[in-house]
Amino acid sequence: MNNLSRKGSRWALVLMLLGAIIMVYPYAFMLGSSMKTRKEFVEDRSSLIPSRYQPSQILAAMRGEESALDWPGADWPVYQNYIDAVRYGQIDRYLANSFIYAVLITAAQLFFNVLAAYAFARMKFAGRDLLFSLLLATMMVPPAVLLVPNFMVVRDLGLVDTLWGILLPGFAGAFGVFLLRQAFMNIPAELEQAARIDGCGSWGILMNVILPLSKSALITLGLFTFMGSWNMFEWPLVVLSNQDYYPLTVGLSFFRAETSSDWPRIFAASAMGALPLIALFLLAQRYLVGGISLSGMKT
Amino acid sequence: MQKLLPYLYIAPAFAVTIVFSFVSMGISLWASFYHYDAFAGAAAFAGLDNYRRALFADDSYFWLSLKNTAFYVLMSVVGVLLTALPLALLCQKAKRFQALFRTLYFLPSITPGVVLALVFYHLFGVWGQLLDNAWTALPALAVLGVWSGAGYNMVIFLAGLTEIPNHFYEAAEIDGANKWQQFRHVTVPLLRNTLVFVSVMTIIGSFQVFTSVYIMTEGGPERSTEVIAYTIFVNAFAIAGQMGYASALAWLLFAVVFVFVFVQMRVFRSRRIYDE
Repeated sequence: MNNLSRKGSRWALVLMLLGAIIMVYPYAFMLGSSMKTRKEFVEDRSSLIPSRYQPSQILAAMRGEESALDWPGADWPVYQNYIDAVRYGQIDRYLANSFIYAVLITAAQLFFNVLAAYAFARMKFAGRDLLFSLLLATMMVPPAVLLVPNFMVVRDLGLVDTLWGILLPGFAGAFGVFLLRQAFMNIPAELEQAARIDGCGSWGILMNVILPLSKSALITLGLFTFMGSWNMFEWPLVVLSNQDYYPLTVGLSFFRAETSSDWPRIFAASAMGALPLIALFLLAQRYLVGGISLSGMKT
Repeated sequence: MQKLLPYLYIAPAFAVTIVFSFVSMGISLWASFYHYDAFAGAAAFAGLDNYRRALFADDSYFWLSLKNTAFYVLMSVVGVLLTALPLALLCQKAKRFQALFRTLYFLPSITPGVVLALVFYHLFGVWGQLLDNAWTALPALAVLGVWSGAGYNMVIFLAGLTEIPNHFYEAAEIDGANKWQQFRHVTVPLLRNTLVFVSVMTIIGSFQVFTSVYIMTEGGPERSTEVIAYTIFVNAFAIAGQMGYASALAWLLFAVVFVFVFVQMRVFRSRRIYDE
């Protein structure tokens, strides 16, 4: 590597670091604010550290100075807003709802998409290509356009404000079928024939040959679906009116209206809502990044 | 039985996707010709009244919201291209920390939009009441959109960049091309598919912007952030008896987006063939 390009890569590093600060700053703001008292937040919104934990305050308290005797850190622990968000805003319930919805949608989506993708990839039947084109064509209608139409269907089915109402439209998706079909078609036909000779039916082939060889596609689709379901907002917002069914996203928006201006508490709730996916992402980012590079799609 | 098996396999996925796209669009097309209430159902036949009202009535915000949406889309596409591509180029150079940067820049893509909107509601307040001013509110929302989409699109560009064989750059260097000329005449042409793909996906995505408007501005101030998805939402669910009108709006939105969706489908298919 010559001198010039080494200098170039050092500049790249500096710029990327600057960018990383811009990326992380809002999260630091959220965490910092979530530890403030309401008074601290109103008086100084922009600082990342609550004023009672500013170094000068801590030093003064350690020196036992007069002004620091009513240091509020003692009776307002950093995690107080998190406790209050659960106690007064039932954030734990919203989190559990989101988790249940995401798990159910992901499980259903994997199951039904696998079945369809298997048939489209490995079976011959009349009208197959036409049906597959039809299925793909459903991707042409974007979600925002579908909000009102889908609401009318759910209403006609009598599913407004029910679990089925939120979950049903997410139970299968053209993109998932497409992705899995692609993966299934890459599996050599000889393996399937060998299994058939060994006495496997189509179900046995699916379970013993196709699925074990398509793990990464299944994980990718599962992760995308889970994250998409966890983050869905507009759909549950219009389908649900029973507060006890709210997923985290709708619950947060409701909690904000309810507490009007208790922002530290709202940020504590927000942090709790953002954390599970970030943890999941850190564990499984290999599959996600691979999946995006592969398809460039977000479900 | 063997003959029916494939149909049995595709039936659930097929039914769900078709019902919640074509069937529902069909129902809403029918509803758009009626005066229709979200809970009471259809009332009187309206003919083209709903469309006429959306397109020509004085109290219609269709054109205004379309204009706002168009500005938002434009700012988003330009913003995403001007951030994601340079970031990808930089990230490629910063070899050692590439994985770390990718993780950090990706965070917004996996954070609920509601959370991001709540945080930026205050950040924009701290930075100068940006959401209270009719001139700055919509650009501020676009900043949030670009900030949260930059990392995701960076990853797509990174994938595109790694597909460009190194010997193109070596050949260009031998021909005496400087860095800018290499970018202009090697990177950009060979990245064309990715550029089109990212642009089209960003256009379609930002056309549907809703969460940040709902959480941060509710269409204000002075309707400067009233975008089409928000207009549809308000008419369908906040004002009673407007379901037919909202359906007409949804169909008008579909007509506008369809051009881009059509391009997307072509790109999508050609990418797949290219990949195989």
